[in-house]
Amino acid sequence: MAGYNLSRLNFLVVDDNKHMRALVKAILHSLGSKQVAEAGDGADAFKELRVFAADIIICDWNMTPLDGLDFVRLVRTGKDSPNPFVPIIMLTGHTELARVVEARDAGVHEFLAKPISARGLYSRIRSIIETPRAFLRTPTYFGPDRRRRQMEFKGEERRKAAAKASGGAEGDATLSQAEVEALLNG
Amino acid sequence: MADDKAEFIVPPNRLKSKVTFSEGGIDAAALEKAEQVIANLQGNYLDWVEEDLTAIQAAYEKAASDVAERKQHLADIFRIAHDMKGQGGSFGYQLITLIANQICRVLEKVENPGEDALEVIKVHIHAMRLVITSRMEGDGGKAGAGMVKGLEATVAKVLPK
Repeated sequence: MAGYNLSRLNFLVVDDNKHMRALVKAILHSLGSKQVAEAGDGADAFKELRVFAADIIICDWNMTPLDGLDFVRLVRTGKDSPNPFVPIIMLTGHTELARVVEARDAGVHEFLAKPISARGLYSRIRSIIETPRAFLRTPTYFGPDRRRRQMEFKGEERRKAAAKASGGAEGDATLSQAEVEALLNG
Repeated sequence: MADDKAEFIVPPNRLKSKVTFSEGGIDAAALEKAEQVIANLQGNYLDWVEEDLTAIQAAYEKAASDVAERKQHLADIFRIAHDMKGQGGSFGYQLITLIANQICRVLEKVENPGEDALEVIKVHIHAMRLVITSRMEGDGGKAGAGMVKGLEATVAKVLPK
């Protein structure tokens, strides 16, 4: 049967736990990926990005010294970021709504609650492939458009005028079932 | 940029040129095979989790004996438990995920954990050891349910009302 072929995609796996990295790499390889680089924390990952043109980053949250959120912010807004637009999937055991919103506001594309499965990881990769996201720049945020899903936003309503001006439409999608489960089962 | 302005940017779609949709791509059979790859790593996981159990036990003993540095040792326990929570379920050990999550909850919710909270953490570590030595996969059946119920009762005693 037909399906997506991921063999030409470069993945960067960022996790301070070597076993978790091994697991994610094993899944990616089994899904046909050939180029999978890894890093043990956000600082190493940022260095790796300078020499490895990652197409998708899969990143843990809890890491030291530079954790997943700081890393995402650095990739998105760092002056010397090699690729501010790179899609980022955040793996995390933190699935409370406040945490998910925090990660979203740092600029992640997708969340995946641990423990992970091959199907779960692939579904997030597929979402990135099938739903390219516009980026939004405001005085306080730079990252993928956060309104793809209906989540409470407490900031100023800056985007309506900009979306109208650019011919864009308000996203009316809701939280996916997997995300709802992730939020509820955290 | 003025404060009331938002700018939309459509980034170059690098994935479009690199990902093809074709025969031989990822279909249901490929996903099943990938899940099987994880299942085949279960033997490795049992080695990994032994390391984690040793490390969390050591961190617990330090937390119990070294009151001055207890905060740091509890942070170590949290970090290890958080990793265990994140891995167990991937390899069929959902009880490890569940019990490790309880340890994280206690450490997140209890301010300045004292001897009672440490005791709760200790029984959870022992329970995780039992899950692994007894190879209690999945929900552990009746024994697993009894264990979880007992552990939840200990957690309820130390969580803030």
